[in-house]
Amino acid sequence: MRTKLLATAVMVAALGGASLEAMAQAKPDVLVKQRQAVMTLQGKYLGPIGGMLKGNIPYNADVVALNATFLENLARMPWDGFDASTKGEKSKAKAETFTDTAKFKAAAETLEAETAKLGAVARAKNEAGVRAAFGGVAKACGACHDAYREK
Amino acid sequence: METREAHVKVWDMPVRLFHWLLVLLFAFMFFSGKSGSDWMDWHMRSGYAILALLLFRIVWGFAGSTYARFSNFLAGPSACLRFARKLLARAPAAHAGHNPLGGWMVLALLLALLFQAGTGLFANDDLLSEGPLATLVSKATSDQLSVFHSWNFNLLLLLAAVHIVAVLYHAVFMKENLVGAMFTGVKRLPADVAGSVVARFASPWSALVLFAVAAFAVYLIVKRPF
Repeated sequence: MRTKLLATAVMVAALGGASLEAMAQAKPDVLVKQRQAVMTLQGKYLGPIGGMLKGNIPYNADVVALNATFLENLARMPWDGFDASTKGEKSKAKAETFTDTAKFKAAAETLEAETAKLGAVARAKNEAGVRAAFGGVAKACGACHDAYREK
Repeated sequence: METREAHVKVWDMPVRLFHWLLVLLFAFMFFSGKSGSDWMDWHMRSGYAILALLLFRIVWGFAGSTYARFSNFLAGPSACLRFARKLLARAPAAHAGHNPLGGWMVLALLLALLFQAGTGLFANDDLLSEGPLATLVSKATSDQLSVFHSWNFNLLLLLAAVHIVAVLYHAVFMKENLVGAMFTGVKRLPADVAGSVVARFASPWSALVLFAVAAFAVYLIVKRPF
């Protein structure tokens, strides 16, 4: 009885571990797809705020609050997708992404910080604050593209 | 050896204005293209101005003053070779208008700039800006044209560098002040070359009208009001 229980426990632990392992170790091409999906969604939620601030579409504080909150969350998602295993995958990531890891991480943290600022002012329905914070987000996006993304 | 020289007007006002406006706008495009999303709106406006200038210059190349015309300065291969030999030997080789190699450089620059403006209309920066015609094509096509836009800019830098080095070569080794002539329109030429000049100058007002038409054409492309 005791040994049977132990064997079951070991088996459950092994299976559990294995399945956790399988989930944690997404295939490199899947990691690339996932991080690109995050970027696509960032574009989806960034664009309308930009359009509103340029005056191309009417300003809507609720949409800005929602989009900025999405952006704040999305900003934390792509980074583990730049795993070393994806180095050889077809993508626009420059080699520096995997060699300048400390700088890349700093750039990632800048985006997280800037989107957090934007999220806070957007949820407070502070239009002037959104105007000020939005530039920081766009700069963070652009700086990272320039440094780590192939044209 | 002292040769007799004469001052002759060859470049009309529209050509000179076109040239220097293009230089200023090109420098601004370089700066604004590399300065991120803050400058993208002005990068695009400046691009429309360049496109209007290019369209004007192409028409002026058929309808403008004598030395503005393509037929005047696009020489055949043997003329180009002969000129290149003189250039290397630093033998006198002054031309009233563009010299044979310079003429082809004009065409190369115009075409490369036109390609740059054309791809820019469809380009996007994956951030907040896209060219006014980017909505007409898929994202993948727009991305591809954006890549061409950035490659072709390097080609433009190369052409501009060759152009400037050639002008400096003329100044240092051929004693020809081409830069000054592009400001004043007047070249100092050996008497025999000067004597052969038969320049007919088109009215600068007709240039103004042509430019207005070119600007309107660009407006139609960008805004697509129909």
